[in-house]
Amino acid sequence: MRIKIDHKICTGCKQCEIACSLAHTGSVNPWRSRIRVFVGEDFCLPVIAGPYTEAACNSLGIRMVEGIEVDACVICRASCPAKSVYKEPDTGIPLKCDFCGDPPNPQCVQWCAPNALTLEED
Amino acid sequence: MYGWNGKILRIDLTRGTQKVEELPAYLMREYIGGRAMGDRILFDEIDPRIDALSPENKLIFLTGPLTGTGAPAASRFIVTAKSPLSNCVSSPCCGGYFGPNLKYSGWDVVIFEGKSPEPVYITIQNERVDFHPAKHMWGMESAETEKEIRHEMKKMYNLDNWALNSMGIADIGPAGENLVRFAAIMSDGGRAAGRSGLGAVMGSKNLKALAALGTGQVNIYDPEGFRRAVMDFYKEGRDTGEFYKRRRFGTWGLPGRANASKSQATNNFKSGYSEAFVKYEDPEVTRALIRVRDEACFSCPFSCGKRSRIKDPEYPLTAKGPEHETMALLGANCGLGDMEDICRANYLCNELGMDTITAGTMISCAMELFEEGYLPEKDLGFPLEFGNTNMFKLLKMIAHREGIGDLMAEGGWAFASKYGHAELFMGIKGMGIPAWHPQAFDALGLQYATCNTGGAHTKSTMPFYEGRKDPAYFVEFTKKDQDYICMADSGVLCWIIYHGPLWGEKLSEWLHYVTGSDQTKEDLDRLGERVWNLERLFNMKAGLAGKMDQLPPRITTEPRVKNRIVPLDDLLVEYYKWRGWDQNGVPTKEKLKELGLEKEGEGVI
Repeated sequence: MRIKIDHKICTGCKQCEIACSLAHTGSVNPWRSRIRVFVGEDFCLPVIAGPYTEAACNSLGIRMVEGIEVDACVICRASCPAKSVYKEPDTGIPLKCDFCGDPPNPQCVQWCAPNALTLEED
Repeated sequence: MYGWNGKILRIDLTRGTQKVEELPAYLMREYIGGRAMGDRILFDEIDPRIDALSPENKLIFLTGPLTGTGAPAASRFIVTAKSPLSNCVSSPCCGGYFGPNLKYSGWDVVIFEGKSPEPVYITIQNERVDFHPAKHMWGMESAETEKEIRHEMKKMYNLDNWALNSMGIADIGPAGENLVRFAAIMSDGGRAAGRSGLGAVMGSKNLKALAALGTGQVNIYDPEGFRRAVMDFYKEGRDTGEFYKRRRFGTWGLPGRANASKSQATNNFKSGYSEAFVKYEDPEVTRALIRVRDEACFSCPFSCGKRSRIKDPEYPLTAKGPEHETMALLGANCGLGDMEDICRANYLCNELGMDTITAGTMISCAMELFEEGYLPEKDLGFPLEFGNTNMFKLLKMIAHREGIGDLMAEGGWAFASKYGHAELFMGIKGMGIPAWHPQAFDALGLQYATCNTGGAHTKSTMPFYEGRKDPAYFVEFTKKDQDYICMADSGVLCWIIYHGPLWGEKLSEWLHYVTGSDQTKEDLDRLGERVWNLERLFNMKAGLAGKMDQLPPRITTEPRVKNRIVPLDDLLVEYYKWRGWDQNGVPTKEKLKELGLEKEGEGVI
């Protein structure tokens, strides 16, 4: 299963971040969420945490995504030492999306009111 | 602690010091947060008779227990201070990302005292609070200020793009710096804590901006119950189509509604129907014309904010808004009928940091004065009939206090009476009337006139719903809705989603899941009534009495809409009875005793 992201209809409400942290920690803190939304002027981009990597980074610079200029570091899903997101703020332990258990029941998808996030069969 | 952080940050700008205080338990229990808590702190800490722009005034930023918890549409923060425009207590409210960041930083309340000797801006990163010089930012417009602050924070604190993107900033534009009495506090490049001129209070303290980046957490009393309640709310919103309607049109559906009910403020409230707005009665037209995308406040599934684009090289690619109030006051009420012009005016006001509603009534007042020949062209420097786009120039002149703008920056009454016709300023307690013409619904006139902060449309439920427009009940509903919204503003929930008939019962439910409180709706309504009376007492101590519950003579004597006037004096008698006040609008001793406000009432009754 995959979570499909439609950045064109994401409104930047960040309910997915809240849903994620609520489901995984029982409290509300977007910084402990495994999904973060980057709010640009003309787009909002939800990015879901991928695997942790210590490898030296080569995703720097500006990339074009469907006519929008995006910082490559922002659209990179890796949880890495250079980023402030996808890690516990206190301990630095990296976070990774786990689809909220088995069978997958991602809370971010449930809380997404505009349906920018949808769950798809492979 | 659940919901609250339990901490007050007190910043003395004169000395540049900061102090951490415990949030007293009674404030949390009896005043919840936001507006009510701000009113209480202001009532206790300042003398209501002070000049609002003096260093003695305090500027208080507040969140509520629900702010940032994910309760739908609970992202808002409240700013409280004595208003320089109405001289009343005022508590404008603003959405966006600043409120939740303040909350995640670990503060419920930030109190600013005194006046900084030099312009400063302040950054809050969790418990770390820093002062930074803002002399080089003085004069910058709102969006530019935010950009500059992000740029400097990136360098100073080595923040990455994600951190810079998550943070929230509240700032003032040139209008606030120049103490324009209806300046707004802006946030997120186009949201505003707009009414009643608190931007000027911020400017009078030499405080350019407040930036918050919080990485802490809010504890939830019953996470699983809360999650289920939110899911139920979502289901209801989807089933009733509320999500869809608001997301699709935001407030753009309202011009049609206003024209249909003859309540569209037009040409300085001379009429309740705008010919020019006929083409925007269908919100699809507006949407197709300017919308780029939908934009939500933090944790709001409704996303009624719209980003818009106009084809004009002078204006940046996209901007927030305009909302209906702006469209009506800067548009129809000034005789503008072109959506692109309205977008320009909206953009200007946002960048300059001015309240679009009062600015709109000021401009329309100037236009009528000019057309009637009371305001000579040489004073203005250009002609200014209704619909003349010279008003953009005038907006800039007001914000920078140039020429006649210097006088207009002092507020509507000062300006209109200088030219001998104070009655042409459509304001209540000095604040401009919102977009809906009161003569279309008597209830509206009553709501505007009795509002504690001045002519505000967000302090009671608009009379478009069952019962609320029925003459037999609307006075009662006015009182009840005012009490209820005191508490919604204390939660802090977004008024536009949680007004009476929609989801009025949700506040106690969210509070229960988030804080574990067992207060029922009735308990909260009683607390709300107390807050309303407390605000009233503040205003009376500030020198305003019942006679301030007035409407402009145009509304009460000239039948402009449906051949009717608002019979305000009759309505007030009944309203005061519901409130338990005497015929002058003064709370009685018995009422204050019932609400536990006897001590607060000493000296005024």
